[in-house]
Amino acid sequence: MVYVRKDVSTLTAGERRRFVNALLELKRRGEYDEFVRLHIDVYTADGENGLRSAHMAPSFLPWHRRFVLELERALRRVDSSVTVPYWDWTRDRKATSVPWTKDLLGGNGRRSDRQVTTGPFAYAAGHWTIKEGVTDGKFLTRDLGRAAAPIQLPTKSDLQRALADPVYDVRPWNSTVRKGFRNRLEGWGSGSGSASWLNHNRVHRWVGGAMLGGASVNDPVFWMHHAFLDLQWTRWQRAHRSHRYLPAEPPGAGDAQHGRVVARHEKLPPWDETPDQLEDLSRIYRYG
Amino acid sequence: MVVGVGGVAVGAEQQTTAEPVRRSRREVTRGLLGSAAALAMAPVVAASRPLPTAGPGDAGAFDETYRGRRIQGVPVSDTGRRLVDGVWQITVDGRPLHLMRRADGTWLSIIDHYTSYRTPLEATRAAVDELVPGRQLRDLAPGRFGGEHSGVHPGGHTGKGGQHGVRA
Repeated sequence: MVYVRKDVSTLTAGERRRFVNALLELKRRGEYDEFVRLHIDVYTADGENGLRSAHMAPSFLPWHRRFVLELERALRRVDSSVTVPYWDWTRDRKATSVPWTKDLLGGNGRRSDRQVTTGPFAYAAGHWTIKEGVTDGKFLTRDLGRAAAPIQLPTKSDLQRALADPVYDVRPWNSTVRKGFRNRLEGWGSGSGSASWLNHNRVHRWVGGAMLGGASVNDPVFWMHHAFLDLQWTRWQRAHRSHRYLPAEPPGAGDAQHGRVVARHEKLPPWDETPDQLEDLSRIYRYG
Repeated sequence: MVVGVGGVAVGAEQQTTAEPVRRSRREVTRGLLGSAAALAMAPVVAASRPLPTAGPGDAGAFDETYRGRRIQGVPVSDTGRRLVDGVWQITVDGRPLHLMRRADGTWLSIIDHYTSYRTPLEATRAAVDELVPGRQLRDLAPGRFGGEHSGVHPGGHTGKGGQHGVRA
């Protein structure tokens, strides 16, 4: 039975409660922190050697598609009615918008130490102690909109620029490419400063705190963000039906990217599936 | 073909700058704690030293106080034979800060994973900007996924013992 991932702004009070409770139960069991850990461990930058499976690589989209699905499966073992909602940051753009409400993810971090003090993931509520963090802080942090030097979330037109590119990705398949849907969405720009943060990266920056670092999964908004990005991949596929995941074949032995990116029919560590197998999951879920 | 996850196949342009044997971030990080004393001996560069405008990674060692935190960084040599461009030992208040390198030569830190900076010093300062007052960096202990980019076990899964295995 195909289930539906909904826009988080459309969830009923009961759906919100069940989603939150399933997350808290995974955290209580210790499963949630395994997801945090995995995301830390797979981050290989493109200026280093080694396979890049999750970031700065073509498999950014299938890797995170599979990652969100794994979390969703875990949530659904707790409560089979739950699916991962998506956060449309082109529409819900304020620090007080959904999902930053008390019955969902809670609000911004407080000014003094960026600690989230409202909602179910506030440290004081007792259910969300950070264990796999990049600092010794035990509480979830946010800096919505980046108080010290404010930035805006990406806009519809920012997203459209990515969706309009018919080519999935281009050589050398890393963070330096300026064309291709994948990096236009992942968002590695050139230069430094605000203009260099696009779409996916810019949202991590806008949320700030935990979401900015290697342990970004500690903020449950991670899943809503990546569900929305996953929806964009689906939209891109519909708009460019003759185009597919690239590279189709592994870079050859003489290529600097040899052994460093995952081609269409290669397994995508740590998963058993290939990008080819992850391109269409419409038999498992769809977006409402 | 199976992707050589642990492989070190690199293109010609990497070979002048990359380590002969790849080290995981954790191996690098673990080495840092033992070398804190050595770091203190590193050449001290005045905090007022102007940032280089080109050649990211070519900046010298630094040791300064930034926003009340002592930040130190030094490029490390590999087995003393040659300087390995691209591997730095960085500490903030004596705690190791892992930096990663982008293909364009800029630097990312584990605190600020989605923005890159021209030099290790800039990346370190940016990390301090994001550190909550009173909090210290944590040396992330090896997780259940193992060491070397280990999320990478063929057929592995998140969850215990693969019990969550999923066929999409």
